[in-house]
Amino acid sequence: MSAQVEYSFSDIIGDPVIRERWEKVRRYFFLRESTYDMSNRCNIRCEGCYYFIGDKQFADENNDATAWRELLVSEKKRGITFVVLAGAEPSLVPQLCAVCYDVIPLGAIATNGLKPIPREIDYRIHISVWGNDQTSQAIRKAPDMLVRQMANYKDDPRAVFVYTFTPFNIDEAREVTRLLAENGQQITFNMFSAPVGYTGQLCHSPASLQKTRAMMHELLTAYPQTVLFSTYNIVAHTSEKGLHDLFSCTYPRMNPSTDIGLGRSFRQYRTDLQWNRDAACCVPDTNCDDCRHYAAGSAVVTARMYRHAIDPVTFSAWLDYVDTYLAVWVRGYDKGPNLCADFINPPLNT
Amino acid sequence: MSKDISRTITRIAEILINELKLEDVTPETFDPDLDLVDEVGIDSMDMATVALFLRDEYKIRIDEDDYPKLTTVRIIARYIDEKLNSNE
Repeated sequence: MSAQVEYSFSDIIGDPVIRERWEKVRRYFFLRESTYDMSNRCNIRCEGCYYFIGDKQFADENNDATAWRELLVSEKKRGITFVVLAGAEPSLVPQLCAVCYDVIPLGAIATNGLKPIPREIDYRIHISVWGNDQTSQAIRKAPDMLVRQMANYKDDPRAVFVYTFTPFNIDEAREVTRLLAENGQQITFNMFSAPVGYTGQLCHSPASLQKTRAMMHELLTAYPQTVLFSTYNIVAHTSEKGLHDLFSCTYPRMNPSTDIGLGRSFRQYRTDLQWNRDAACCVPDTNCDDCRHYAAGSAVVTARMYRHAIDPVTFSAWLDYVDTYLAVWVRGYDKGPNLCADFINPPLNT
Repeated sequence: MSKDISRTITRIAEILINELKLEDVTPETFDPDLDLVDEVGIDSMDMATVALFLRDEYKIRIDEDDYPKLTTVRIIARYIDEKLNSNE
């Protein structure tokens, strides 16, 4: 029986490769996010969309650019450095997105990609993909989605395609990733996470999680320049336990502390510019027990640095995750090669 | 204030200043009762970083759930002191 080696943090970052990556990612520890619903309308209607669940869909739409500017100025004043413009469809209100960019120049926009967002809004653009065009037609009731998304964001360095895995589109990820690779575009992966009360066919099962895990690994291996992901991302998002069970979610909905971190600073604004602490997380009205959402993981896994600093391999896996998160969310941040190819079990908080 | 706590306070301040690149302050002049979030401006990732260096320095584990209550350098020093004096 061999004794378990205990590493100090100084030992771990004593490795020059790890040290370099640690110094690279820690420069972005100043990011403090909040999210904003921009419109209560969407130009398509997808099964399982989290926006059209719960109360937020009924909030009035405030289209007053002056009110938005005042909100963003006050957000900046209270320390917000990164905005996520999301539901229902920000591309329908580009004038409001431009105001946000003018005040807080770091951020990302989640869009279905059917209506191009003006180039002067230099946020990262996340374009949602739910399978090939046949599946999108069935789930999102919109024809030729991928073809139109790819054309709208051809040669656009802001764009990253976000492929949401459901139990029914796992094999199609191969075709979609190949097409994006051929077009010089990038993709990252998301997991369908059921909204509260949703019991439909898109919920994952242990078998679909396993199959998704294998597909993600295949694509990450085959297309390392196209796929923004890491082995540890795969582990974190395809485990039978959801993100909250694995890492203790730090968003206000699940975190009562208002002293430090997301529990203190994060807000999720509705289209009427109001927010509610009880509902505040990056994907409100998602069932927390089923949450494997890429946006949630970006904050929740990243926040758990301390528990990952137990040995060089585990810390490297965490660094890969953070490097991926920054590449997906921050314009101009270039992802490095993954440091850890192994499937590492998430460490417990012990 | 005991000599040991005083020494711990100075060392914590030194780690904070070095790791968070705080300017215009020295370990000796750092006010140990400043609120680290409200008055120094540190966030959870800063706290995790400092906690890792304190783990190295004092060979203690700092629970992630304890970050919210570690609001000043003096409180952190007492926390460390209690850990060192416990059976951990």
